Amino acid sequence: MMSRDIIDVKAETSALNTQKMWVIMGPQHPFSHGLWTLKAQLDGEIVVDAEPIIGYLHRGWEKECENRTYPKIIPMADRLCYAASMTYTHLYCMTVEKALGIDIPEKAKYIRIMADEICRIQSHLMWLAAVGTDLGNLTVFLWAMREREFFMDLNVRMCGARMTTNFPRIGGVRNDIDDEFAMFATRCVERFEKALWDIIAMVDDSSIFVSRMKGTGILTRERCANLGITGPAMRGTGVDFDVRRDDPYDNYDQMDFVVPVLKDGDSYSRYRVRIEEMFQSCKIIKQALQKVKAIGRNAPYRLKVPSKVPAGRAFMRMEDPRGESMMYLVSDGSEKPYRLKVRSPIFVNVSAAKPLVQGCRIADVPAVMAMIDMCLGETDR
Amino acid sequence: MAKKEYLDKYPRSTARSLWVMTPIVKVLRLLGKTIIHRPVTVLYPYEKMWMPENYRGRPGLRFDRCIACSMCVRMCPTACIKLVETEDASGQKVMRPQVNVGRCAMCGYCAEYCPVDAMTVTPEFELAEYTREDLIYGPKRLAYDGITEKMEIHLEETLMSDIENGNPERRVSPFKTDRPVLEASKCISCKKCEKVCPVNAVKMVEHGVNEKGRPILYPEFNNDTCVCCKNCVEDCPKDALHINEVL
Repeated sequence: MMSRDIIDVKAETSALNTQKMWVIMGPQHPFSHGLWTLKAQLDGEIVVDAEPIIGYLHRGWEKECENRTYPKIIPMADRLCYAASMTYTHLYCMTVEKALGIDIPEKAKYIRIMADEICRIQSHLMWLAAVGTDLGNLTVFLWAMREREFFMDLNVRMCGARMTTNFPRIGGVRNDIDDEFAMFATRCVERFEKALWDIIAMVDDSSIFVSRMKGTGILTRERCANLGITGPAMRGTGVDFDVRRDDPYDNYDQMDFVVPVLKDGDSYSRYRVRIEEMFQSCKIIKQALQKVKAIGRNAPYRLKVPSKVPAGRAFMRMEDPRGESMMYLVSDGSEKPYRLKVRSPIFVNVSAAKPLVQGCRIADVPAVMAMIDMCLGETDR
Repeated sequence: MAKKEYLDKYPRSTARSLWVMTPIVKVLRLLGKTIIHRPVTVLYPYEKMWMPENYRGRPGLRFDRCIACSMCVRMCPTACIKLVETEDASGQKVMRPQVNVGRCAMCGYCAEYCPVDAMTVTPEFELAEYTREDLIYGPKRLAYDGITEKMEIHLEETLMSDIENGNPERRVSPFKTDRPVLEASKCISCKKCEKVCPVNAVKMVEHGVNEKGRPILYPEFNNDTCVCCKNCVEDCPKDALHINEVL
């Protein structure tokens, strides 16, 4: 029997002395959502070794930012990840505001929180659609996409664009929300809270689905922390950390929500964390709408900011739908940033591909990797 | 019945998941629910989805309002706007923006920063053409029938000094009150700022003569007509002008 560098997974080993074989999955393989490759070494049916390969989508994002003035980077930040456009734009604006040393109006903070949570729900629904197709059920895909459409309509009402929203601005948000939007948002969220139970009934009550997810891709708490995994994938292994609660930005400290943490560490617990997060996001949206209403209609929502950022450094982090994303800005006092570094959660999470799939059957690899929720736009930048 | 939270309710116990009828019953119930529900999809080319008035489609232009200040050119993140020469209604040659819609990211910055609300967003999103040349929209083609007030996007901002003074009122396009300031020691009296000003707000005023007996001209800015398009600041060969931002 050959030596295996599996640390805490008790994997089956093939009794037959078969020749090992490398299987290249991706970048056009249907399991890889986005352009990345998973090289998997097989011993019979069991994955012995794996190596993720990224870099197919490198666009030179960070270098491109150095040639643009500060407001022009906001539409680019949308394109880091089209499913999480609102959160990345929010993060960029927060970083520049920190470098400028300004405090934005209260109303803008609550509108941003609400926009973030709408973005989180639609990102998770997109992930749910991908999981449905990966596990072989097209109905879950269609239903999740149907629910997502209502949140897209909310985005259109709010800022006039469906996906690349370009909504937060340095010093506030693009436009105010009106009473009509608040009514539609409340109605949409309340509808969604009921409709999500239909999808849960499709997935969680089906023993076929659950048996595909339960017990696969096990990661322990210590291993997860050492790999630097963040987001729902981390909370599914028992690490109790959420930037929204533990290092609150904007006005998240005034929101009442629960961070779901599960201890099993398998694919199914990661799935459940994401589903519960959608319910919590609905709660936050409703609270934020009430706070916006309480502030009043004529309150300021956007500040005029200087076009030049004083020389210095600024760093911010936030809870993206996929994990913890960070931005680091170095300014030299001109209208353009000297350097803008993005830490994307998936770039780190994909490094866990090897420990996740080692010891799995090859048929389980799509199910295990779907729980990471790959997005290559932000990984390769 | 008290509603159970998701994490309390799931995962189901193994004994329960063995009872195979549960998912079948649930799916049948959902089937009944979806039969009476109206479809969420639309028959696209024949019926269209509802779009709000401020939907960000391709940019639109109101030809008569435009003053060719090139603010949209400067703010465009994809550099798809260019000023080209056209004829207006009276046959005069004027500069007006031309948009390469194939490159446009539909961010709406041109409408937001336009000081005279000539650039707008339009709800037109069906922009497919057969060639790339067809995607370049000239100034005449950029016109859109039925531009409403909601399609002009205003930059509503509050000044930080106003909030400190306890008067947080929203101002529309407050960048228009910024003014260029001259650093007289750098000025070489080249009159370039006078030439590039789209609203003729710059006037060269004589301030004595130099040692060779030639007049020294310094620009003076008319605060009523200036829209702060920064053309003079950008084109100054000696960097003698800078913008004084009102914050």
